[in-house]
Amino acid sequence: MTVGGGPVVEEEKAEGFTIPPDVKQLGIIAGVISAVILIFPGLPAVIKAVGLILALVWGMDSVRKTSKYGLGTGVPSIGVLAMGYGIVGALVGIALVSKVVSKVGDSVLAPAAALGGVLLMGVVGLVSGVLSNHEKIIGMKIPKLEQGMTELGMAGTLAMLLQFSIVAGSLEFGVVLDKAISNGLIAVMFILSCMAMFHPYNACLGPDERRPRTMIVSVEVSGLLCVILGIVVAAVATTTWGVSGVVDGVLLVIFGAVVWLVCFVKFVRMCFEEAYSTVGTGMIKTIE
Amino acid sequence: MDPILILVCVILGGVLASLGVHLLPVGGAPAAMGTATGVATGTVMLMFGAAMCGLFTASSVATFSDNILLVSLSGSVGSWLMMGVTMLVANVIYVFGTGIVPVSGRVDVDPITKEPQKAYKTPQCDGHGVPNVSYISGMVGALLGGFGGAIMYFGLLNYAHFEETMAGIAAMGIFVANAIIAAYNIGGTIEGFQDPKFKRLPKALVSCGVISLLCGVLVVLVVNLGGLTG
Repeated sequence: MTVGGGPVVEEEKAEGFTIPPDVKQLGIIAGVISAVILIFPGLPAVIKAVGLILALVWGMDSVRKTSKYGLGTGVPSIGVLAMGYGIVGALVGIALVSKVVSKVGDSVLAPAAALGGVLLMGVVGLVSGVLSNHEKIIGMKIPKLEQGMTELGMAGTLAMLLQFSIVAGSLEFGVVLDKAISNGLIAVMFILSCMAMFHPYNACLGPDERRPRTMIVSVEVSGLLCVILGIVVAAVATTTWGVSGVVDGVLLVIFGAVVWLVCFVKFVRMCFEEAYSTVGTGMIKTIE
Repeated sequence: MDPILILVCVILGGVLASLGVHLLPVGGAPAAMGTATGVATGTVMLMFGAAMCGLFTASSVATFSDNILLVSLSGSVGSWLMMGVTMLVANVIYVFGTGIVPVSGRVDVDPITKEPQKAYKTPQCDGHGVPNVSYISGMVGALLGGFGGAIMYFGLLNYAHFEETMAGIAAMGIFVANAIIAAYNIGGTIEGFQDPKFKRLPKALVSCGVISLLCGVLVVLVVNLGGLTG
């Protein structure tokens, strides 16, 4: 159940631990960094994992932004929507890359074509946002739902493409199909990315919800995702070093575990520190 | 590869998903306390579960059959079983665990069995459990939703020549997106076709039609760019 009705108080001054970028800045920063990392599939898995975490945090921020007005269907719905779009967008992205590779050969910038899938999914997200928010159609009356759904489509696609890139070490259709899709790994990626997007706000929502605290849960879940992806990379590795190598996978596992541990400890400490005061919500309304 | 057939399958799947969602008895959080009619979970979880079961049965049948009707109907049966068992077990828990009578909160008399409802409803509640009319409505919804999911899977598998896992996960992605847009239309909870919210159905059908069309165009794009041929 989401916090329904009533005006929502905008971002309050956060105390204690803060994350510098605000809602607008984070979208731009995370989107650009993830996109740049996506263009180079030859990077070590750990760096791609940083891009993945940023994309997932961006998605979580959009989930938080849209669902604090009360969706009526629960927070998870919009996170699942984002990854549903993400899968379709990622398939378009890898298909675009393989087309470019077949036309101009295996150039360094060919993976940039995958960004086309991200943009197309942004358009689909925008259309669904307009349809859901327009008064004459579904009429959800949520401020900036159009923007939120656009961002969710893009963040979901970026997260999916980066996971393909981590596991397959390439963004070509055939390679990704072989290493990440046909073995069923895509289902694990789907549900864990969903978790990283919707679980933080679903778990933390309430009158004293605070953005940095919610965000750290997203990073923590992303850490767990990195551990699983790292095990996969190490298990199916063809070389000992480099992309899709054993060392690469082991490094990713260590990175994920460290991220998870640090964020989890920090989150629990934050909860202890902030639990001393509770915010009153008033009496429960009775039905007439 | 036939773009028209792919588009038809994807749009039909999306629209049927939306119709199916409107027929399910979804209670949400109030139903978890027994104060609203329906199964105590969100639309997404119910439709996701039903669609997954439908896809399992449909994909099993698709391994040995090329008949579109057989594959789609097997998807219906999978969803049907899942929803039937879910609603039955929910009712068992409501009746024998919580001790409430399954009763509709929206209608005074059950439109199918003509059983009186209002006398059994606790004051200030919105109905309880899954009454007969909601059960039947939910079964029809699961049948249609499962058919939609399976026909989408069939289209992606045989007309778009997707690999099995890819067809399954892509069908699930498009199906879930449509189910969620439909869920926004009903505002999270609905009892079945007797609920006044059911009258909002055309709006969701239009929205889901447009979104499925866009997703279908993207699938055709994937087929063309990825060079997928039978």
